[in-house]
Amino acid sequence: MVAARSGCSATVIDSGPAVGGQYYLGAQSPEGGSGLSYAALRRAFDGLVAARGIDLRLSTYAYALQRHADGFVLRTRGDDRHRHRVSEIGARTVVMATGAFDRQLPFPGWTLPGVMSGGGAQALVKGSGVLPGQRIVVAGTGPFLLAVAYALISAGGNVVAVVEANEPLNLARHARAALPAAGKTADLARFVSALARKRVPYLRRHRVRRAEGLDRLESITISRVDSEWHPVSGTDQVLECDALAIGYGFTAQTDLAGQVGAHMRIGSDGGLAIAVDDRQRTSIAGLIAAGETTGIGGVDLARLEGVIAGVAAVEHCGRRSALSESAIGRGTRDVARLRGFADALHATFPLRPGWRADVDDATLVCRCEEVSAAKVRDAVSDLGALDARSVKLLTRAGMGWCQGRVCAPTVDALCGFDTAESLIGGSYRPVAVPVPLGAIASDRMSP
Amino acid sequence: MSADASKSSGSVSPTVDFTFDGTPYRVPEGQTVAAALISHGVVSWRHTRVGEQPRGILCGIGVCFDCLITLNGQPNVRACVTRIETGDVVCSQEGCGFGD
Repeated sequence: MVAARSGCSATVIDSGPAVGGQYYLGAQSPEGGSGLSYAALRRAFDGLVAARGIDLRLSTYAYALQRHADGFVLRTRGDDRHRHRVSEIGARTVVMATGAFDRQLPFPGWTLPGVMSGGGAQALVKGSGVLPGQRIVVAGTGPFLLAVAYALISAGGNVVAVVEANEPLNLARHARAALPAAGKTADLARFVSALARKRVPYLRRHRVRRAEGLDRLESITISRVDSEWHPVSGTDQVLECDALAIGYGFTAQTDLAGQVGAHMRIGSDGGLAIAVDDRQRTSIAGLIAAGETTGIGGVDLARLEGVIAGVAAVEHCGRRSALSESAIGRGTRDVARLRGFADALHATFPLRPGWRADVDDATLVCRCEEVSAAKVRDAVSDLGALDARSVKLLTRAGMGWCQGRVCAPTVDALCGFDTAESLIGGSYRPVAVPVPLGAIASDRMSP
Repeated sequence: MSADASKSSGSVSPTVDFTFDGTPYRVPEGQTVAAALISHGVVSWRHTRVGEQPRGILCGIGVCFDCLITLNGQPNVRACVTRIETGDVVCSQEGCGFGD
């Protein structure tokens, strides 16, 4: 929007059927964080599309980014109904805001139908108006669990419990440095009071140990855990449920940046993020990144970063942005403040190592290629693998449809290879979304 | 299991008719294939290649490819991000979906 307002020609590529991403899920959600409503954002955006001729391409996936002359070539394909529809777009500058997805940890039974990510459950109810089950448990760690439970409860869902592995009250200690994020704290308070009204237990320092069921989820076993997430003996509890919405923070979608060799960093949540400067510029000239992909931080931060990114894009094209210097300065200061609050949240809701002991030999670590924890461990102990790549080549873990998006960090952790280098190596994906070879071939052969 | 689907005042919301493994279903317009099936109590629509285990949705936002389904004869369509349309013939998927 900043780019279009400043007189640049802009193309917007969105994989969804409507703009707004996972936060807004195409207007179905009345609110997305504090501040601007979707309706207001959408009105402003639609106005610009009409007035400034933004080339809006919905239901379109960017699968590859390449440097080309003094800019980039972005390759796209259609949605799953039209995946043969490939196209390429040239650009002086690219702003990537590819978001994030729930980080998963494997546990016995996690492949049973009915076990899904928190984001998946939220998408079902916010995007399609469908509840994931009749007795739902929300579990994992982080404030997002509360947002998921809130969305489910608001839609009339029966949430049996929210199972949080960390101690949320630690936020008071960590957030002191970043206190003026009042809107955020108000959101959390609203979520917690909604749980209390519906008498939904918020079980702190509890963790899902396993899921049970024949061919679908029937129950889960949870335990109280210590600060390292090791279970406290004698505290096992069985909760009957037909849906489990689970997530341990998020993993940023960094694929396109990785393809052109942009520098990565390890975020305060332990996950990978694209390294950017105070104008959202990556290490590759002309490639700008905003939102979760530069470090998990939530909707308000993402929106602010988007504005700053727009300014950087305009400047890279040799124009002056429509925003004043003081507005930009205010924006970058707000970004820093919200980033500080995100860091406090990550310090409050970290990943602790106790989960690893629950991953028994039979548990699948890589769901796509159906690789068990035993095979992954054998690759190290019996076959002598010394790095993540060798484990992948020996076991096929990470070689399936998702290209290791779900399992690469956990395979690293189970093998003791969880270094920054390994995380970065495991995130390299030359093709970000599967494309039919025939589609690429016919595209190349057409004159 | 529908959550307040028809909140809009009075007007009859448009619906979509499709079949899943030969059985006809009707859902409100705008749902994903996964949501349409889950709203009818179907939580799994694929068996894996190796262990022949049932799978449904995991990430639910198009990243993990666990929810693959055969749509109008085309295998490996993500049920979680593909909107259901009238006349769709949806079939559960065995293995890679090409009948090997």
